[in-house]
Amino acid sequence: MIPKEVEKYLLKVQKPGRYTGGEMGAVIKKKEDVEVRFAFCFPDTYEIGMSHLGIKILYSLFNEVPYIWCERVFAPWIDMEEVMREHDLPLYALESGDPLCDFDFIGFTLQYELSYSNILNMLALGNVPILSKDRKGLKNIVVAGGPNCCNPEPITDFIDIFFLGDGEEVDLEVMELYRVCRKENTTREEFLRRASQIKGVYVPSLYEVDYNDDGTLRSITPRDGAPAKIEKRVMMDMDKCYYPSRFVVPNIEIVHDRAVEEIFRGCIRGCRFCQAGFLYRPVREKSVDCINEQTHTLCRNTGYDEVSLSSLSSSDYTQIVPLLTKLTEWSKKENVSLSLPSLRVDGFTDDILDKIKSVRKSGLTFAPEAGSQRLRDAINKNVFEGELMHTCSVAFEGGYTTVKLYFMIGLPTETYDDVAAIAELGQKVVNAYYACENRAKGQSVRVTISASSFVPKPFTPFQWEPQDTMEELRKKQQHLKSSITTRKITYNYHDSDTSFLEAVFARGDRKLNAVMLKAFEKGIRFDGWSDCFSLQKWLEVFEECGIDPAFYANRKRSFEELLPWDHLDYGIKKSFLQSECEKAYRSESSPNCREKCLGCGAAKYGGGVCYEKR
Amino acid sequence: MRNVRVFFKKFDECKYISHLDLNRVMLRAVGKSRLDVWRTEGFNQHAYITFALPLSLGFSSECESMDFRLLDDGMDLSLIPEMLNVCLPEGIRVFACDEAKYKPADIDAALYEAVLTADDISAKELYTAFSELLESDEIPVEKKTKKGFKTVNLKEYVRAYSLLLDERSVTLSITLPAGSSTNINPTLFITALEKKTGAEIYYNISRKEIYTKEGVPFA
Ligand code: SF4
Repeated sequence: MIPKEVEKYLLKVQKPGRYTGGEMGAVIKKKEDVEVRFAFCFPDTYEIGMSHLGIKILYSLFNEVPYIWCERVFAPWIDMEEVMREHDLPLYALESGDPLCDFDFIGFTLQYELSYSNILNMLALGNVPILSKDRKGLKNIVVAGGPNCCNPEPITDFIDIFFLGDGEEVDLEVMELYRVCRKENTTREEFLRRASQIKGVYVPSLYEVDYNDDGTLRSITPRDGAPAKIEKRVMMDMDKCYYPSRFVVPNIEIVHDRAVEEIFRGCIRGCRFCQAGFLYRPVREKSVDCINEQTHTLCRNTGYDEVSLSSLSSSDYTQIVPLLTKLTEWSKKENVSLSLPSLRVDGFTDDILDKIKSVRKSGLTFAPEAGSQRLRDAINKNVFEGELMHTCSVAFEGGYTTVKLYFMIGLPTETYDDVAAIAELGQKVVNAYYACENRAKGQSVRVTISASSFVPKPFTPFQWEPQDTMEELRKKQQHLKSSITTRKITYNYHDSDTSFLEAVFARGDRKLNAVMLKAFEKGIRFDGWSDCFSLQKWLEVFEECGIDPAFYANRKRSFEELLPWDHLDYGIKKSFLQSECEKAYRSESSPNCREKCLGCGAAKYGGGVCYEKR
Repeated sequence: MRNVRVFFKKFDECKYISHLDLNRVMLRAVGKSRLDVWRTEGFNQHAYITFALPLSLGFSSECESMDFRLLDDGMDLSLIPEMLNVCLPEGIRVFACDEAKYKPADIDAALYEAVLTADDISAKELYTAFSELLESDEIPVEKKTKKGFKTVNLKEYVRAYSLLLDERSVTLSITLPAGSSTNINPTLFITALEKKTGAEIYYNISRKEIYTKEGVPFA
């Protein structure tokens, strides 16, 4: 619903459809009929937030509980923000049109560090006090979930509760507790204290942190009975795990405008730079029948004619061919096309290619991540040049003429030769095209090389590694650029400035809360958007707060150092991460979970790939 | 195979669905309804739907229409509105369905109703200014054309109008040329009025009816 005062100005902003709600599938309840009102906030634009799977799952899950009404809130784009500030219009939820400050729970999903500034801005726009300590009574409980909860230390002053791991159960348990506490009329503090006893709940205000003289952490101490280690939650039986049968279907075009079916959680690969590959361990699959039924229902209920099978690495699904066979039994008839994102180079078999032919012939996308085999071994990205060439040749024979290759620069152990090897690999793909006899006649090949900057992340074997300085990264980008000698290759590189900020916040500690607050006061937001991001502004903020960002981004940490996230337990042993890091130094790769269990620690959850027969 | 035309209203939140997005919303609704509709050939097959006259973003309407080809010759067309409505957002309601009578090229004019308010001046002042403007012989505005901007005299295009003063607002009903050859957007009058009064004007515009060259409602 559009608040009346807002509607007056809607035609003065770009894409007003972002701010209206009223989509098919949006859930409208009566305020009087519910006990808990939850505002699900995505700290980015409508088009990005609505494309996100997590919000779709939790929105439906919450709304199936009769006493909860979950609504959606997105960050208004800067033109709308200006209108809201000028006319004193609070940020509102799309379903009821009520301001954020009316809600019992205000929940954010933490998907990327560069969205933190939007969280503060959204709270302020919604008339919610941004600091936890200024919020009183049993309302406006600000919670957060999502991958970045694995190191939420830089925003602990603003968020009351973090949910670690899968949210499907723990969120509901906390809301049930809230309901009880409200009946008993407890204090906010008592509610938070009781919440901290629930597995997967991290209440940061119940922990004291202490620093050494050199600025590193000395200790993290719980109080009031809060657990010393906070363990993530995991849904082990994916077939029984809640999955929505309908989505809110947007009226305006969004980034990923299609049905999405999650086929498994986790990843067997253990690429050493990839945080998701460790956070979501162990791999847990849904059965073919379950996926088939859920997908069919979803397409029927939403009217989407495209469905994407989502996971971190689709071709690692053990039953991928039987699954595609089953799905195509109805999808062809009903004009539904299937897409498989995140296909690996070696997963591109003829069988699969054949089944997903119904997808438009967009270019092929592969992520070798590093140019040389040596460096690919060091980062444990087990992609081999021969496989890549073979797959490209197969695709070229099939009429493809464009290939996109994704790389990272600034990876640990990387040399300038490794950087140049990226260009060489691109050249080899170009050569493979011209060596291919059945290539598309009269067309030339387009190879796009994209290089992003490596950002070391918590809970990866590279969590101790320094990030290359921006200057070094720029030199490497130049080196790569000058190593490319053909015009058949297009080279894109991502700005190293945003990667630097990402690196600071990814491994930051509580001292960064002051930086976040100051950044908010200076009007910083939408850092993920190049039209808004300014490193200069951020550097001024760091300067004013007396904090050296290089301490977080560019410093090599010792294996002995107490890390800001050491009190959080994602099932992965620190000793395992260290041994993987040491293997990287020796340029040694590791087998994946299906080849051999490396005993990372995730077997303690009692299921998934850890108990498959090898 | 029959050429079928459905008529629908577009209002509330759905006013803000652009023409391009409306196409997407309708395609999904048609797909979801499982109506047996003729599809485009080729790689990405989808239902073939067309719209007679695009509606500006932010306008509501009582008289929008969409055409498609129904493969099932025996089907009772009166069932179609409900089949589509369950597949559409609340702000789009299909209220009629019949075989197409006129061609989109037969469209000649449209009736709009615009409710205007302003913060800086009273409704009375707004009314007086608008009356003067509409009565004058020349209402010059800049109109965007394919070749850039040119000045046109809006007055020449007004087929009929009436102006009404309410307590807080002014309501204009106006019939303007519409269709593929000449199409005059009623917001042009509001721009002219803003220029005349210097006040920022807020408006709600609704398309009430679309007419053919014979002056009968498009059907
Ligand atoms: S315990 Fe073994 S099989 Fe399980 S996730 Fe860890 S390495 Fe993989």
